Amino acid sequence: MITQSKVLSARFGKPDSCALSGYREDGGYVTYLDTLKTGQPDELVATVKESGLKGRGGAGFSTGMKWSFVPKGTDKPIYLCVNGDESEPGTFKDRQIIEHDPHQLLEGVGITCFAIKSHTAYIYLRCEFAEGIRKVQAAIDEAYAAGLFGKNIDGSGFDLDVYVATGAGAYICGEETSLLNSIEGIRPYPRNKPPFPAVEGLFGCPTIINNIETIANIPHIVKNGAAWHAGLGSKDDPGTRLWCVSGHVNKPGVFEIETGFSLQELIDGPCGGVRDGKLLKAVIPGGSSSRVLTVDEVARTNMDATSMREIGSSLGSAGIIVLDETTDMVDAVLNLMKFYAHESCGQCTPCREGTPWVVKVLERIMSGSGRTEDLALLVDIADNMEGRTVCALADGACWPLVSIVEKFRHEFEAKIGAPVGAGS
Amino acid sequence: MITLTIDGRQVEVAPGTTVLEAAAEMGIEIPHYCYHPDIGVDGNCRMCLVQVGENTRKLPISCMTPCGDGMDVKTDSPAVVKARKGVLEFLLINHPLDCTICDQAGECPLQDYTYRFGPGDSRFVEHKNKKPKKVEFSDKVMFDAERCILCTRCVRFFTEKRDSKPLGIRNMGGKNEITLAPEGPIEDPYQMNIIDICPVGALTSRDFRFQQRVWFMDFADTVCPGCSRGCNITAGSYQNKLLRFVPRRNPDVNSSWMCDDGRLSYKQYDLAERTRGARVYGETVDLPAAYDKVAELVGDGSGVGVLASTRQTNEELYALKNWATSAGITSLWHGTATWVADDFLKQADATPNTAGATALGYEPAPAAPSGLRGLIVSGEVDVPAALLAGLDFLVLQAPVGGALGAAAVVVLPGRTPVEKKGVWVNADGLAQQVRPAISAGPDVPEDWTLWRDMAGAAWPTLKHLQDEMAAAGTAAPETAASTASES
Repeated sequence: MITQSKVLSARFGKPDSCALSGYREDGGYVTYLDTLKTGQPDELVATVKESGLKGRGGAGFSTGMKWSFVPKGTDKPIYLCVNGDESEPGTFKDRQIIEHDPHQLLEGVGITCFAIKSHTAYIYLRCEFAEGIRKVQAAIDEAYAAGLFGKNIDGSGFDLDVYVATGAGAYICGEETSLLNSIEGIRPYPRNKPPFPAVEGLFGCPTIINNIETIANIPHIVKNGAAWHAGLGSKDDPGTRLWCVSGHVNKPGVFEIETGFSLQELIDGPCGGVRDGKLLKAVIPGGSSSRVLTVDEVARTNMDATSMREIGSSLGSAGIIVLDETTDMVDAVLNLMKFYAHESCGQCTPCREGTPWVVKVLERIMSGSGRTEDLALLVDIADNMEGRTVCALADGACWPLVSIVEKFRHEFEAKIGAPVGAGS
Repeated sequence: MITLTIDGRQVEVAPGTTVLEAAAEMGIEIPHYCYHPDIGVDGNCRMCLVQVGENTRKLPISCMTPCGDGMDVKTDSPAVVKARKGVLEFLLINHPLDCTICDQAGECPLQDYTYRFGPGDSRFVEHKNKKPKKVEFSDKVMFDAERCILCTRCVRFFTEKRDSKPLGIRNMGGKNEITLAPEGPIEDPYQMNIIDICPVGALTSRDFRFQQRVWFMDFADTVCPGCSRGCNITAGSYQNKLLRFVPRRNPDVNSSWMCDDGRLSYKQYDLAERTRGARVYGETVDLPAAYDKVAELVGDGSGVGVLASTRQTNEELYALKNWATSAGITSLWHGTATWVADDFLKQADATPNTAGATALGYEPAPAAPSGLRGLIVSGEVDVPAALLAGLDFLVLQAPVGGALGAAAVVVLPGRTPVEKKGVWVNADGLAQQVRPAISAGPDVPEDWTLWRDMAGAAWPTLKHLQDEMAAAGTAAPETAASTASES
């Protein structure tokens, strides 16, 4: 049985869930103001480290560890950038937070800035989140008016300014260094690393970039303690996550569940099973940039980092895309690859040239002009892209591509006209 | 110092050295497109990737990877060889492969690396991308977006070296395209440098394109005659006709750059009419007869001045001075020519060897000379009117006669800066070798031999003259280090 645990989503759906008054009635900003008075930055970083919180953007890096990379005693300003570019296909969780409980995010921003000794935070939102942008800005305005942001907050001596920065909707701007370039107003090509943003980020200054959901977790961890968070869900990747289920299920949506549950049970339980009583064919478990799972793999997989690593995929951004038996996997992967080709920034040769090439080959197969050698070609194009570029966009294209070609080879072969099973 | 291993050989480098630089020091060429030693690292082409340790999945780019102690780098492991082939294949799938009509052919790193490291054939059977061709970036530069590999060297030349942004990138992904800024055509006086650093035929010179295949051309490594910076250049010619100057890398002088004015100054050396042999009062005579006439005119040398061009080499100036001294002439002057200097390379002194002339004892010509009855002019020089007033005679030794030649009693032949060999000293005191790019043709002996023969000096060859200069302590040091041009 899947149990939903409402932590981040506890206030979703409440009347006026976006209003400061309601948030404070529910105990909001108490942790933040206590932190400003009595908190110690180093202790906060240690707490978040001990909590086991991992970044919710997709890469799953330890949040506390990331915070600790800010150089000690730097004389430059330190920035916090909150990544709300949310553009991974199948992912729509950050949108829930900003549209339903923006003050939860802002409290996290305040505590995080205190912990990393930052006095300026940018919340980067894609422009398509028009409603979310309005709500976050309104919440920031309310917070300033209430003296929660600004100079000498609540007499603590701590100053904090929070800004909304908007992007034009490019997927690449969710890559953290592209995001920095976007805020700086230059072409959002991902930056080469090192230097890492924690050392040299926004405007050349130490910068921490965290996903919206990651930051929203911070008030709860500081309020309830590291041990509380570390005890939620699976040990290696604890906490709750906002799982986004889309595709061929009867009840798609966002479900907050502790890590470590059975994927099959999620589909059969809260999601109401596969649409129209059809059979399951495949699941893309962690946003489109993760390796596809077959029916067998879904049945034996738990949603935690270790299980996913064992099966060769990842939790990514928790975007679970369910595909039923009617899905044409060639068409599905073509659809995905069009996305990556369209969203490649074009900086690195392999991705700029490779992603559109893959699309052309898949389109040819779809049009009935596929050749037997095309399958090996697709896998080899992917081999020449993966790990050969500045950022992970090409990797993210290769993982679903290769896994779908390998696991659903017969569907490609049927389109090409080769005997099913030949050469597989 | 940091010790690491590259292709099994141990090497010590200074901290901060990149793997690409360390390999280059060892003579290992790591192919690259977007990296350029004078505009730095960008990391977009992915051509220079290498294997570090045993990780064959994530291959770092050597242009950005600093050397680390104990690092084990492989530049030709199976993983690197395959990845490099892959990158070249990616670069070529949408490239028009129009080498047969492309001006870059023959000096194209895309062509060269494809031969050396490429896949040999293509697995690409789809339609290639269509992009704009024949885009006029300016009156000097033409752009072909289909040939472009988007290394952004051109964009970065302006941002890094010129603090300007006439070029940028538009669109996304496979549709990426270098584009002019909305302000319009490039106006930068150094813009033609982007043609040289473009590693493919995307940027071509509107002056040079379609003129000649580079493999049919002759090249001379020499120095730009345009100003006292002394930018190192390679002069290219075909059948004894100059077709272009391009900069030759020298970190001590001009890095990889030169100004467009200097670059296009090659055209002035295509002489429709020139001096050949000797003339006295407009009549062609043989050289010894002309020498006799000069000796007769000069007499004991009193009241005679010498005005030398600062485009003449040290050797020519030395030989001229040697003759003048033997003829009793004590007034040794040099001409001047100026243009507007800038804060990049261009010097106000628009001649290449003022420093050399000064070191040899030539002084600026006086504004109002007194008692001047005769003037010997050597080389291309603007002669101040004050020097010409009231002269009994004028002797001109120069490649072009013109009005001055018509007024001269004796006209002797001369070579242009692209026809001679010797040394110029630039404004920073650096002596550099000048080498002939084209031949002056018949009856135009080397300038220094005229003055040798008039003075009866014993220098069978230029080397003898240079040895004498060295012994006299007047020789400038040998040419400073200059490296092969970096493309």
